[in-house]
Amino acid sequence: MKHLLLHWQQRWRMPELRLLLLALMVSVTVVTTVGFFTSRVENAMQAQARQLLGGDLVLSSARPLDQTYLQRAQQLGLATAETITFPSMVSGGDKLQLSQLKVVSRTYPLQGELKTAVVPGAAEQVVSGQLPASGEIWAEARLFAELGVQPGAQVQLGKSTFTLARVLTQEPDRSSNLFQLAPVVLMNLEDLPATGLLTPASRASFNQLFAGEGNAVKQLKTALTPLLKPTERIRTLDEDLSSVQQTLQRSGRFLGLATLLSVVLAGAAVVLTSTSLMRRELPGVAVLKAMGMSRRQVLQDQAFSLLLTALLAAVIGIGLGLLLQFVLAAWLSQFVGKDLPAPSLLPALNGLLTAVVLLLGFALPQLLRLVDTSPMQILQGALQRPRQSVWVMLASLLLAVFGLLWLQASDLKLAAMLLAGLLVGIGLFWALARLALRLMQTLGRKWQSRWLPSLGRSRRAVLLVVVFATGLFSLLLLTTVRTDLLDRWQEALPADAPDHFLINIQPTEVNALEQFFAERKIKTRLYPMVRGRLVAVNGQPLDPDKFENPRAQRLAEREFNLSSFAELPVSNALLQGQWFERGVTGFSIEKGIGETLGFGMGDQLTFDIAGQRLTDTVSSVREVRWDSMQPNFFVIAAPGSLGEMPSTFITSIHLGEQKLLVTELIRQFPSVTAIDVGAIVGQVRSLVGQVSMAVQGIFVFTLIAGVVVLVAALQSQKAERRREIAILKSLGAGRAELQRRIWGEFLLLGGLAGLLAGLLALTAGNLFGYYLFDLDLKLNLLPLLIGGVAGSVLVGVTGYWNLRGLLDVPPMSLLKA
Amino acid sequence: MNNTAIQTNNLVKTIPQAGRDLQILRGISLHIDKGESVAITGMSGSGKSTLLGLLAGLDLPTSGTVQLFGQSLDGLDEDQRAALRLGKVGFVFQSFHLLENLTALENVMLPLELNPPTHPGLPPQGGREQRAREALQQVGLGERLSHFPNQLSGGEQQRVALARAFVTRPQILFADEPTGNLDRATGHEISDLLFALQEQVQTTLVLVTHDETLAARCQRHYRMEEGRLA
Repeated sequence: MKHLLLHWQQRWRMPELRLLLLALMVSVTVVTTVGFFTSRVENAMQAQARQLLGGDLVLSSARPLDQTYLQRAQQLGLATAETITFPSMVSGGDKLQLSQLKVVSRTYPLQGELKTAVVPGAAEQVVSGQLPASGEIWAEARLFAELGVQPGAQVQLGKSTFTLARVLTQEPDRSSNLFQLAPVVLMNLEDLPATGLLTPASRASFNQLFAGEGNAVKQLKTALTPLLKPTERIRTLDEDLSSVQQTLQRSGRFLGLATLLSVVLAGAAVVLTSTSLMRRELPGVAVLKAMGMSRRQVLQDQAFSLLLTALLAAVIGIGLGLLLQFVLAAWLSQFVGKDLPAPSLLPALNGLLTAVVLLLGFALPQLLRLVDTSPMQILQGALQRPRQSVWVMLASLLLAVFGLLWLQASDLKLAAMLLAGLLVGIGLFWALARLALRLMQTLGRKWQSRWLPSLGRSRRAVLLVVVFATGLFSLLLLTTVRTDLLDRWQEALPADAPDHFLINIQPTEVNALEQFFAERKIKTRLYPMVRGRLVAVNGQPLDPDKFENPRAQRLAEREFNLSSFAELPVSNALLQGQWFERGVTGFSIEKGIGETLGFGMGDQLTFDIAGQRLTDTVSSVREVRWDSMQPNFFVIAAPGSLGEMPSTFITSIHLGEQKLLVTELIRQFPSVTAIDVGAIVGQVRSLVGQVSMAVQGIFVFTLIAGVVVLVAALQSQKAERRREIAILKSLGAGRAELQRRIWGEFLLLGGLAGLLAGLLALTAGNLFGYYLFDLDLKLNLLPLLIGGVAGSVLVGVTGYWNLRGLLDVPPMSLLKA
Repeated sequence: MNNTAIQTNNLVKTIPQAGRDLQILRGISLHIDKGESVAITGMSGSGKSTLLGLLAGLDLPTSGTVQLFGQSLDGLDEDQRAALRLGKVGFVFQSFHLLENLTALENVMLPLELNPPTHPGLPPQGGREQRAREALQQVGLGERLSHFPNQLSGGEQQRVALARAFVTRPQILFADEPTGNLDRATGHEISDLLFALQEQVQTTLVLVTHDETLAARCQRHYRMEEGRLA
């Protein structure tokens, strides 16, 4: 063991081993940084989603829930709460108003907070541990406006009289029915029986909320799932994605892509350095074997050295990863508004695994060849690398690359696709590089250049171009995709993105409201909205139970917001069919809902809108940018086709600093409900900023990985170069001439590699953007230019820097080493 | 007591080349006694180095037998042959073959480290570095212990190689053109040193060279022509 450690220390003097460590460290750092960071963000997202849900897990049913579920949860040590919601009339003063009654048990809410205000419009306060007392109810401001009463008024609910004590401004699980029309009334469960409101015929929703330790929640879910009756379902966190979550998910995908490229680049560096390392170790191993070293000893020595290197790289990389994710998380905590949950340890394991896979796949086969070195070679002068089947090498490489891709993408199909893409890319680079170098030969001969033809002929040049091009390609791809992505995000959320939704606008108020906005120079557009349930597709009744996907089940059960208008909103893009111009009729559907519920162009849909049926065919499919903060609709009917259906209007406006306008608006239009989404918009916008910084951080790693590959490639050819320079020097080449040659070669090869990389990055960037990030195709020639120039400069400088030491050494000593 | 260090019988070595078998050694039988110094000379391509490799057990003959320290190499695999050499065989090569990333001292320590701590004839673990230092002092490099090969001249590098070869006090030393890469004066120094050490350690020396003067310093001399002993 002591010897092995000593040998490792002695090997550390070789630049190749240090380069190997660097390559491994870069990949471990990037994998763990991104891993830790995304795991924390995911945990935060889940915590946030739990708040929206009101618990860690919610069981909902149209019938009273079985008490056995409750007992089961209590056995597992989970906290429980119960809510029952159903519509009910409230009478106060001399008016009647439909309300959404929400009856809650004493332990409600399990997650998140209730907020109330003393009078409508007053500042809201968090009420923790409090619920309406017996004989009291809390209600949304709208109820006060509709009934024309103030807090403290007596109202009638069923057989009971209640004091309308406070204004309810927020309850955690409200967002799941954001567009519900009736104002929410919160009541204590103990008061419910006396009202006599809840009868078997009531259209009530019974919810059991559970919260507690993660494993217990999982156990409960597993235990409950097979017991559920058709009317019961479990609501989980990931059913609906908010804008913030969508943004985070997209950025997660981008970070994943950046990580992958860094790891693949580092892999290339590992292959190159371990090849040079092997070449460097070959004579030594042959000598040692002649002295009596056994194969087992060679293997032990090499394997120990590699594993120690991997371990060291992993430890440093994981440490750096932990440190860097703290920086990233510090940026992010501003937007989450509290400290992010602690990261899981899985990314550390992932980082270690990455280092080991990189070594096993890329370096070990090279070094195992050393074990087979024949000691006889040392007497034969020319040292040859032990032969090993090309197929074994290739298989091991491919397996390792595939393993890494799989580790990163966690998706077998995606990993296979990426591997195929990588192979096609490298093959393409190889073919193009050979073609370009051959052209260089021909041109060189034509121009009677001294060194151009020999450069074009050398196999080394092909390898360098392919390696440089692959590295530059990754960098360019990241740059273009990143720029596109950020532009697109910025476009999606301009500074004047709407911050308030106005709903429940009555048709009679439309003109007056439009005038209200016009006077205040607020640009807006009012959309009619009706609520309807999809009841049949192509004449076949829609059965929610036949869907396996819970999201599809829910969509099939619930009412949609339908609209009808003539102009396609900017946040929508037409994918198929024609928009309602030139007399086109029918429905325009959102792509996702069609895919989830299994209908598309030409299918006939029937909606039930307040008892009336509306049937028409799908005449177009749209893609909707849900994060645009505009009113968006799953289904839009041709203008005029909603006819006399009972509708209200909806719009979104940007108020910015003029928030007080809301109060004025509500005073003039009391039935209108204003929802402040400014907070969400602010969140998304600041998140985009933070994420772009995070992305830039990861980008730096890819750059480092790229440079490591360059240096590794140069290092692998250094012995050859050394000899070449010695020969040229002995033939009388001066320093200036050698400098010219080196600069010329690297600038030219770098430029060529950059151009090829730019070309491929342009193509791939468009494909990635189109398929992964929903961006439009566009021809941007900038990558070609950037690639050419950046390639020349980067490769020129790195190449010269790597070889400059050889220029000052006398030719004899070059030959000696 | 058996006094034979190496014994071969009708050694043949053929290698496939361009689809045909090329015969490098055509039936070599020789005998080398313990403590003897033997030179093998011949033109380039006469098969000298191949023979040296077979004698040392670095490779196996196509037919014929080799006995090293009275044990037949026939049927031994690579590791078993390596174990036979361990601690008992030293090598000196034409192009020195020092490990670039090791200092002079570390290079000389190498063969000692390969041997188990309890190897008879070698100092215990703690005394091994001292033995290596002494070996370097013996070749006149006591002041250059921490120099790397590329900081040493060709002659100095070959001195390190000699120290490395003799540090285990081997029973046999195989030397392949030990002065081939050196100028005449340095070559003389090195060969003086080689024979002095050989005498001191009482090692059997098998020397492959095309330098007749060097060969003349050995007790016996085999000449090779086209794969045969002339």
